[in-house]
Amino acid sequence: MSETQNSVQLTVDGRAIDVPSGTLLIEACKSTGHEVPSFCYYPGLSLQAACRMCLVEIEKTPKLQTACTVVVQPGMIVRTETPQVAEARKNMLEFLLTNHPLDCPVCDKGGECELQDMVFRYGAAESRFVEEKEHQPEQQFSPIVYFDYPRCILCFRCVRVCDEAMDVKALGIGQRGVRTLIIPNRPDGTLECEECGMCIDICPVGALTSHQYRYKTRPWEMNYVGTPCAHCGDGCKTTLNVRNNQILRGNNRDMTGINGEFLCIKGRYAGDFTHHPERLRQPLLRRNGQLQPASWEEALGFVAQHLKEITKRSGPRTVGFLGSNRTTNEENYLLARFARTVVGTNNLDHHRTADFAALAGALHGEPVRYAASGDLSRASAILLVGNDPTHNHPLLAWNIRSAVRQHGAHLYIINSRRIKLRRQARQLVEIPSGKEAAAIEALHGAPTDISAATQQELATLRAALEKESDVIVLFGAEVFGSAVSRLVEFSRQLPGVTRYIALGDYANSRGAADMGLLPDRLPGYASLKDALTRKKWEQVWGAALPSEPGLHAKQMLGGNQLRALYVIGSNPVRTFGLPQTREALGELELLVVHELFLTETARLADVVLPAASAYEKDGTFTNTCGEVQRLKRALDPGAVRTDFEIIRLLSYAWGTPLPLRSSEAAFEEIRQHVRGYRVSQAQLVAGQAVRCAPTSGHAAADTPPGLVFSADDSLFTSGTLGRYSAALNSVSERDLPRSRL
Amino acid sequence: MALQLSPELRKKFESLKQRYPRQRSALIPMLLFAQDELGCVPDQLVDYLADDLDLRRMEVEEVISYYSMLRRRPAGRYHLQVCTNVSCLLRGGKQILDQVQRHCGVPPKTATDDGLFSYEEVECIGACTGAPAMQVNYDYYENLTPQSLNELLDQLQLGNTPSPTRQTTDFLKQQKPHSAEVRVVGRRFGLRNSAALTTYLKHDGYQGLEKALKEMTPEQILEEVKRSNLRGRGGAGFPAGMKWGFVPKDTDKPKYIIANADESEPGTCKDRALMEHDPHQLIEGLVIAARVVNAHQGYIYIRGEYRYVMEILDRAIAEAYERNYLGKNILGSGFDFDLCTHTGAGAYECGEESALMESLEGKRGYPRIRPPFPAVVGLYGCPTVINNVETLSSVPAIILKGGEWYADLGSERNGGTRLFCISGHVNRPGLYELPMGFPLRRMIEEVAGGMRDGKKCKAVIPGGSSVPVLTADQLDTPMDFDSVAKAGSMLGSGAVIVMDEDTCMVEVAQRIAQFYAHESCGWCIPCREGTAWLRKVLDRFHSGGGRTQDIPLLKELAQNMLGKTFCPLGDAAAMPIISFVDKFRHEFEEHLRTGECPFSRDAAAVATPL
Repeated sequence: MSETQNSVQLTVDGRAIDVPSGTLLIEACKSTGHEVPSFCYYPGLSLQAACRMCLVEIEKTPKLQTACTVVVQPGMIVRTETPQVAEARKNMLEFLLTNHPLDCPVCDKGGECELQDMVFRYGAAESRFVEEKEHQPEQQFSPIVYFDYPRCILCFRCVRVCDEAMDVKALGIGQRGVRTLIIPNRPDGTLECEECGMCIDICPVGALTSHQYRYKTRPWEMNYVGTPCAHCGDGCKTTLNVRNNQILRGNNRDMTGINGEFLCIKGRYAGDFTHHPERLRQPLLRRNGQLQPASWEEALGFVAQHLKEITKRSGPRTVGFLGSNRTTNEENYLLARFARTVVGTNNLDHHRTADFAALAGALHGEPVRYAASGDLSRASAILLVGNDPTHNHPLLAWNIRSAVRQHGAHLYIINSRRIKLRRQARQLVEIPSGKEAAAIEALHGAPTDISAATQQELATLRAALEKESDVIVLFGAEVFGSAVSRLVEFSRQLPGVTRYIALGDYANSRGAADMGLLPDRLPGYASLKDALTRKKWEQVWGAALPSEPGLHAKQMLGGNQLRALYVIGSNPVRTFGLPQTREALGELELLVVHELFLTETARLADVVLPAASAYEKDGTFTNTCGEVQRLKRALDPGAVRTDFEIIRLLSYAWGTPLPLRSSEAAFEEIRQHVRGYRVSQAQLVAGQAVRCAPTSGHAAADTPPGLVFSADDSLFTSGTLGRYSAALNSVSERDLPRSRL
Repeated sequence: MALQLSPELRKKFESLKQRYPRQRSALIPMLLFAQDELGCVPDQLVDYLADDLDLRRMEVEEVISYYSMLRRRPAGRYHLQVCTNVSCLLRGGKQILDQVQRHCGVPPKTATDDGLFSYEEVECIGACTGAPAMQVNYDYYENLTPQSLNELLDQLQLGNTPSPTRQTTDFLKQQKPHSAEVRVVGRRFGLRNSAALTTYLKHDGYQGLEKALKEMTPEQILEEVKRSNLRGRGGAGFPAGMKWGFVPKDTDKPKYIIANADESEPGTCKDRALMEHDPHQLIEGLVIAARVVNAHQGYIYIRGEYRYVMEILDRAIAEAYERNYLGKNILGSGFDFDLCTHTGAGAYECGEESALMESLEGKRGYPRIRPPFPAVVGLYGCPTVINNVETLSSVPAIILKGGEWYADLGSERNGGTRLFCISGHVNRPGLYELPMGFPLRRMIEEVAGGMRDGKKCKAVIPGGSSVPVLTADQLDTPMDFDSVAKAGSMLGSGAVIVMDEDTCMVEVAQRIAQFYAHESCGWCIPCREGTAWLRKVLDRFHSGGGRTQDIPLLKELAQNMLGKTFCPLGDAAAMPIISFVDKFRHEFEEHLRTGECPFSRDAAAVATPL
């Protein structure tokens, strides 16, 4: 192989290899298949050279060298398998084991422990250490994190990931010498942090373990199911560790998802809502004013009969549907089809947590302008307007931090709060709450009512942005309607290709909008007003579509225009801040709710249908960036049913059966007909996140205020699901002001 | 409870924060000065400093728990810090510790009920030629005997603080130089008010600087230092001129110069004397070195225990500023240089140059990955020259009298003189400035007055506790870097520790292992675990629990550490142990045979818990 300017040729164990210049020797060796062992070396974190496991021989260098710190040099001759190297590894392991308790039979890490593996491969069979071991009792750092001092090998991965990658630095190094230990940040010996569990996951041994998992099972006794997380809109892949139909924890050690190894507390530990004792397991029917258990047949029969009756009597315009931010694309699609074709109403909406429709409108004809989550970590410049990604979008915040830390990306923030990402920001412009649209106008140079000082800061920001190229623009729910188009108008004139991410709250917020759970939009943001489009969908669905836009969520909830309201996977009473009375919803004759729990809305219902969670069904989610991922069923739902099944059964009971028999069939129809969703099935099946990019081709109509708003969940809340997660409810940081983080 | 800080302390905080390009550097001094006032570091102070320096709380906590002088719980009004390291051990340090322990009657680092006393066993405090010694708070009391200790404790009990006794440095004022001595860096030691600028100026003071600034180019200065064969006096013996030559010339970054005054190698107390008696000589050396590399800011990183020395230095620096030997446009040359002191807080590892820079940046004293070396990427990521105090103190004479003159004082490739710290079982322990290459035997027999009580010499540690021990039949070794290396050891820091025939070599090895176990920073596995393991085996061995296989085990463990640790501390711990096992194996075997220490009447009392 010839040596180009950017590659270096060296010899590893007699084999000549070519690697890019600047490569660390340990990575170069790995690329040849010669694994050089290490504990402290961890790609993406600062170098330590502390564990000394990666010592190798380099010709013409007198001492063994740490492969993790040596940068490859042309002509370097490296040996990784000499007796001297083997001896050094054995010695290091002997040193490491002196104070290690060797409690592998009861250690949570047993079977997936890097120390075990290393000793198995490189270690000595016996120990010469007969002295008393250093010991300290195990400590509970937080409701999530336990620290078992004797097991710790002090590789400092946890300390580095917490500091460098999470920018929390809740874990530190205390004492020195053989007494060195990991310490938590509160004076009382507990943690105040984001409880992300990264430290636990990255720990090569059983020193850091989670309360949720510890002493529950052995790694080989579980099933592992990789599926998108059920919580926020980022779409992290979590590998659910399941035993006896119960999720014990999530992690992502294989790093295959868009999130790599990252997960927050929700992805790791908040799968526990699935087995919360208050989980609804059978349909409830209101009898004599009380919600009482009923059979599925009875409940569905009741719903079909009354819904049909009301539709007939008062007309389809008196029936409304509120969809969900956490049901699958297929379910949302089926609901849209059911509402519009079977019931014949456009009264269809959901809690919109970002104005995806406005963005799709503003980007008409330019699908490449959607940024994927991974694009953020490689971005050179980022503009964030509104939102608090640390809390609302932990993965995107991680990606932003990593772009700044590893590639020197420039982050610009316009926000009404001093959010934690300000620590990474090159410039933060603090604006009064609710003035996001005005700030965007100020970026345009238009007159606004914000203070002169702030306008000056925005002018500086604008000047800085004009020097950047390929900016990624993120905006929260604070920016909606025409403000979205104005933001796009401003930023599309910046150098390079500007790309966008609208920040929606939940696992399938984007999917709900993409699938047309909107009163004026068909799937793929196709305008209802456009006769041609309507006709296309009438052909697809084989039914006539009402042409008049329906009522939006607020009109449905407050306008007293409905006689029947059908709610799926959402809790409008709480979300829209309504009094907890049936009257507050108007003169409804029928209220149906699909839910996992008896929410404030479900309590008021005539029929409550117990629904399966995202971990109990198949289908697809689209994350807030527009990346489609396939769900894999991790749990047997038992007596509850998926929303897909419920809607389908309802269509049967109604007498107009929907032809889509399965989630797969529904997705195929989505692929065929929803603009931007013609994604590769093969990639999806392989577990990849596939970008979709629906664009309406129509400028967005202005969105009325009050429709697009974020629930502003923190790291420790997650809408209805979060209220039933013991893990999320257990952490003390939940009650702290956000500025503490 | 709200945090109460005196106005003086707040003022001190403000001035500390001004000293550095990054405020975090002030953290360790701020902690130590606040602790002096508050008795310890309370939670509120942690929060206050984190807030004041824009750090996360954890960053402050990490620092506190690294440095042995910083404490989270209050000590007694008189904190008795008894050194039991080798030089003190040889002269009764353990008995002093026992006596202090009995007097206090509480566990270490715990205040007595009346709040008056607390104590702890400490590592070498740089009073080796005045051994045994202890510090009461920052005051030195040396040459202690059971009687003098009793008197001292009685006085303290009454609330009186007797004047410190600094035998190590007072010795230089009281004694005339030995006829074999060649005083270069020590030539002002005997003068009245030797630390004062006026004294300094009367005796060639700042003339080297004037010459360097007015008559020489930086290149010429560098050449002169190269010609002098001046080698680093900290321990490694690296040629000073070559080190300065590594500093890149074409860089936009500021450059720094640091005097390493973190003297902590057991047996070594020379820098303390140099700074106490002749602070201006160090300042002058620093300015000249700064001129060579074009640095405009210098720091003297001084170990926290040397508080009174730092105060002397601070006064000298203020005098030098007044007379424009520091500051802007020094002596009209157009050259600017600022200098200040920086206190450590108890960590041997911070004598390692890269760990020192971490510490100076307000962090735990962990060594850095090298390359890059400090000359290119040092303090604050900028090119940095760092030299030992004695090295820098030698520079003014070299410039004034010429490199050749200096080189000729010593032996081949080992220019000049060296301040040897002769401690242990000799009649006149002390600091003596002798030409490089001076024979070890004469050093003991003539200069230091011969062996105490007419005993025979059994062994000598020629360069601080980290070097291999020499046996009595190696006393003809000339004391320069190359000759001592040829004899299988190292000249190191010039700490010559002499041991007589009654010395238990297992106990000395144990005490050395105890030191490195205490001072290992814990960063890398072989040092962290290896030093602790060695210490545990030797503790057990010396107290009668040895096994036959322990003897080869000790050597193998040390060899497994050697050359594999992150920084030289691992080697420093391993080398002496290997040499003790090799050269005094029979004494180890004797312990095994008798089941107790053949040299001690009270063997079990030797191993005191850390």
